[in-house]
Amino acid sequence: MSNEQDKEGAFMKQVTRNIDPDSARDLLELVPRACICFASEHGPQSQPIVLVWHDGRYLVGLLEDADHQPGSGQEVVLLIDEGVHFFDLRALYIRGQVKQVRAPREAPAANCTWVEVVPLKTVAWDYGMLREVRDER
Amino acid sequence: MNVDDPVMLDILRRCMVARIATLSHNGRPSINPLYFVAPHGRIWLGTSEWTLAARNVKADPRVSVLFEVEQDRSPQRVLRISGRASVRTDPKVQRSYNLRVERKYVLTPGGIRHYLVHLRQLSLMHNYHAQAAEKGQACVIEVTPIEAEILGYELLG
Repeated sequence: MSNEQDKEGAFMKQVTRNIDPDSARDLLELVPRACICFASEHGPQSQPIVLVWHDGRYLVGLLEDADHQPGSGQEVVLLIDEGVHFFDLRALYIRGQVKQVRAPREAPAANCTWVEVVPLKTVAWDYGMLREVRDER
Repeated sequence: MNVDDPVMLDILRRCMVARIATLSHNGRPSINPLYFVAPHGRIWLGTSEWTLAARNVKADPRVSVLFEVEQDRSPQRVLRISGRASVRTDPKVQRSYNLRVERKYVLTPGGIRHYLVHLRQLSLMHNYHAQAAEKGQACVIEVTPIEAEILGYELLG
C-alpha cells in the first residue's frame, strides 16, 4: 500500500444529506411549506407562516390572532421544507432572532403580523443529494 | 377540539410529514419534519435517540406538532396538536412503528414508484441509515395529545 493510500485510508467516509443553503434558494422563491417555532411560558409554539424572501431578508407573516407571538429579539427557528417520499425530502432550517417590521409590499395576505427573522445559522438538507464525503474528524 | 374529532382524524390520515417543535434543556426552540403514524389516539414520530428532537423531548416533554395535508390548498388544512411526549425505545413499539411506516410510505403505488425511480441510490440510503444506527438507537417519539386546533390558515393563503 502506498503512502497516498495510507493517507486515504486514514479518512472515514460518511454519507451526508447536507447541502449548501444557497443551492436550496428555490424553496424561498416558491415556498412549499413554512413554519416557525419559538419558546413561550407554555412550552414550544409552532405556527404555519407566510414567508416573503426579499433582498435576502426573511419576512414572516404570522396570524394576527395567534395566541402567542415571538417578542422582538426572541430566538426562533424558521423551517421551509418540501417532499413526502424519502429522496424528495428537502429543507432549509434557519435559526435566528425576530425583529418587528412593517408588512412588505409583496405581502400576499392581510390579517398578519410581520416580523423579520435575522439569521444566526442556516443549514439545508436534500435527501435526493445523498452522497459520500470524507469525514476528516 | 377533541382529539377524536373527524376533521382532525382526516388530516392525520392524509398528512405525510409532521413538524414537531421542541425545547432544549435551556429553552432553545427547534422544529423538525418527521415521518409519523397515529395509532390508538397517539402520535408516533420516528427518529433516533441522538437527534435534537429526541434529546429535547427527554429534556422537556412539552411539544407542539403541525400537520399540513400536502397537495391540498383547501381551507382548514393545518392541524396543530399540543401535548406531552416521551421517547420510546422498546422493541415492540419500534416494530409496530416500522410496520406502519412501511405501509404508509413504502408499500403504496407512489412509494413503490419512488423507490424504483431511485434504485441506484438505495445503497446510499441504507448506508445513511446504518450510519445513523451507529450513532444511536432508533426511537419513536410518542405524543399524547392534550389540545388540538385547526389553524385559520386560509387567511394566510
